[in-house]
Amino acid sequence: MSNLALKLEHKSTKSTDTKVFKIWISALTVAFLAGGYFIVERMITGLSATNLSSITPWGAWIAFYIFFVGLSAGSFLLSTLIYVFGMEEYERIGKAALFTAIVCMIVALTFVLMDLGRPERLMNAIIYWNVTSPLGWEVHFYLVYIALLMVELYIAMREDLVRAANTNTLKGFVARLLTSKNSTINTLTKKRDHMWMKILGTIGIPIAILGVHGGTGTIFAMVKARPAWNTAIFPIIFVVSAMVSGTALLLAMYVIKRKVQKKPIDQKMIISLSKLMAGFLIIDLGLQFYEYLTGWYGLEIEHLDTLATMMASDLSWSFWGVQMFLGAVVPLTIVFWKKTNQNINALLVAAILIVVGIIGVRFNIVVPSLIVPVFHELPWGDYFPTVKEWMVSVGVVAMGLLIYSIGELLLPIEETSEEVSHNGK
Amino acid sequence: MGLFSNWDLKPRDYDKIVDQKLPNAEKVLNESQYDTKLGLNMARDARKVINGSMKIDDFHKVYSSSLTMEFGSYYASDTPDTKKTNKGPKWVMVIDLQKCIGCDTCTVSCKAENRTPPGISYNVVMESLEGEFPNIKAMNLPRPCMQCDKPACAQVCPTRATYKMENGIVVIDNDRCIGCRYCIVACPYGARSFDFGDSYEQEMTGYNDVTSPEYGVERGERKKGKTPIGTVRKCSFCFHRLQRGEEPACVETCIGDARFFGDINDPNSVVSKLAASPRAFRLKEELGTQPSVIYLR
Ligand code: SF4
Ligand code: SF4
Repeated sequence: MSNLALKLEHKSTKSTDTKVFKIWISALTVAFLAGGYFIVERMITGLSATNLSSITPWGAWIAFYIFFVGLSAGSFLLSTLIYVFGMEEYERIGKAALFTAIVCMIVALTFVLMDLGRPERLMNAIIYWNVTSPLGWEVHFYLVYIALLMVELYIAMREDLVRAANTNTLKGFVARLLTSKNSTINTLTKKRDHMWMKILGTIGIPIAILGVHGGTGTIFAMVKARPAWNTAIFPIIFVVSAMVSGTALLLAMYVIKRKVQKKPIDQKMIISLSKLMAGFLIIDLGLQFYEYLTGWYGLEIEHLDTLATMMASDLSWSFWGVQMFLGAVVPLTIVFWKKTNQNINALLVAAILIVVGIIGVRFNIVVPSLIVPVFHELPWGDYFPTVKEWMVSVGVVAMGLLIYSIGELLLPIEETSEEVSHNGK
Repeated sequence: MGLFSNWDLKPRDYDKIVDQKLPNAEKVLNESQYDTKLGLNMARDARKVINGSMKIDDFHKVYSSSLTMEFGSYYASDTPDTKKTNKGPKWVMVIDLQKCIGCDTCTVSCKAENRTPPGISYNVVMESLEGEFPNIKAMNLPRPCMQCDKPACAQVCPTRATYKMENGIVVIDNDRCIGCRYCIVACPYGARSFDFGDSYEQEMTGYNDVTSPEYGVERGERKKGKTPIGTVRKCSFCFHRLQRGEEPACVETCIGDARFFGDINDPNSVVSKLAASPRAFRLKEELGTQPSVIYLR
């Protein structure tokens, strides 16, 4: 991907960079426009564009929404490892983590908007806040969280912005817009910035864990009508799987970007990051195991039906194939097998598989519980997303990637090796 | 009975018999150490309270000082709290499962009354067979919205579009609902449906011309993109019918006379009496939603 500020150092790679970047952007634009057509159509025809029903009222868009909230919370928490707990080995991905967190939230909220029966009334959730509603709380938490992320990203970038303001590039132009004329960098501002990063990161941790992602888990966990969701461990699983997907995503993005730019990859960081990711995944699997075990042992008919729908029905490929095999068994083997665990390509595959696996996890949370009706005599749900639902999803994700790519073009998101040595100290 | 008989006893005659048997109040009271006159006056006024010609509050006002004088610290009564009993009605429905024949008349009349679109039925009759052939028993369980006293739907609604009225009915404000469908997910009885905008216009000309005035709101024609399309709908105990003094459509049309409707605050109403029956139960009581629909098993 093109990074104009780096052109001084990487003159030779610049031309291929721009070419790849151009192809990338045009591919995204095509995807966005294709999806955009279906987004517009969905806005006109309403939710009849979906396969949803009153038995299965939530589907793919809600699954993607919680997936992206998870990615966001996960990448943010990873950034706090760096800025709050001083794990400098991950310094290189700090700002990228924050920016990813912001973009993922934007994508997540767009999915919510797509899913509303009356998108134009979105503001009602803020105007008429119902304090007993987990969803009502979440909408507020998301806004606070996005604001906090933006401030934090700004402070993290401040030094680079000041530096870039003196260059005569596009980045420099944006930087001049964002900084005041007499901003300087000296030891005092460094100390101040670092202190603020720590404070904001510390405030952010409870907001991200309890509010944003644990909170999204409570949207499901508070529903006593659905026994498979209604457990206290559910929000915790949400947070842990958020950490899994967030770590995996950042690892994958870092490796892919470096590869495209033909820049050296910090192998030590990748290996330790992959261990971290596998650790989170193992905790996640353990929690899920107990969750299913208690549900199964309770012998409650509706709970058993839900487990059966997830693990032994037409939909079970999503659980065994995507969530368990691709999303857990394969990546764990890669990370722990001696022959592959030093190989960056193999680890990249593992990370991508984990991200895909978590998409499966999110679908398996939302759909099976809503296939089983609340009374045995009522009709069972039958849900698989329509082409239109997939296309809208493609459009929304493409929008997120576009925002990310353009953001990276205009802002000093990427760490240069020089910054790593002193930032966050 | 007794139409041509002069020897039948009239209520007056019974009164006489009772009066003869009663002890003389004055004599009895004279024997006690307390004020005779006070006792007689109180007895007279107590009768007035019972037949409604005197208010209980006034009774207490008149006698409380003399009672305190007479009984001192032994007297510990005060005006009873009568304010709370003046609430309006609280509607409940009782469904006798022994009388339900599973004909789905309620379902049909509900669809006709509320003009619900395809895919939406506020009331359904859930049918199941129990036991093994040939020893089987059919179970019919009609299910409207339970109008829960602790409604899970209203608890989770982010916009307070769903709320509970004083009269017990759980309302959806379709003009505020954002269509997030959280309430559908949260309702343990599957009583809510999303209005996807479908219509019977193809099968039934004029279907779209008029909608039912749900919750007392006239919305006129059913049109694409117009509320309540894109929002959530459910049974309202036919609130618009209650407003003009009629029973809900399902209650009125029930062939087996299995449904009863009334005010649970009134201890003499049919529903109050039926609710006290040992046959009475409510669905999924363990969830604590406290439904206002009571079944008789
Ligand atoms: S039955 Fe469902 S929709 Fe009706 S009041 Fe209870 S929770 Fe709400
Ligand atoms: S769909 Fe409407 S009534 Fe139901 S929870 Fe959402 S805003 Fe409330």
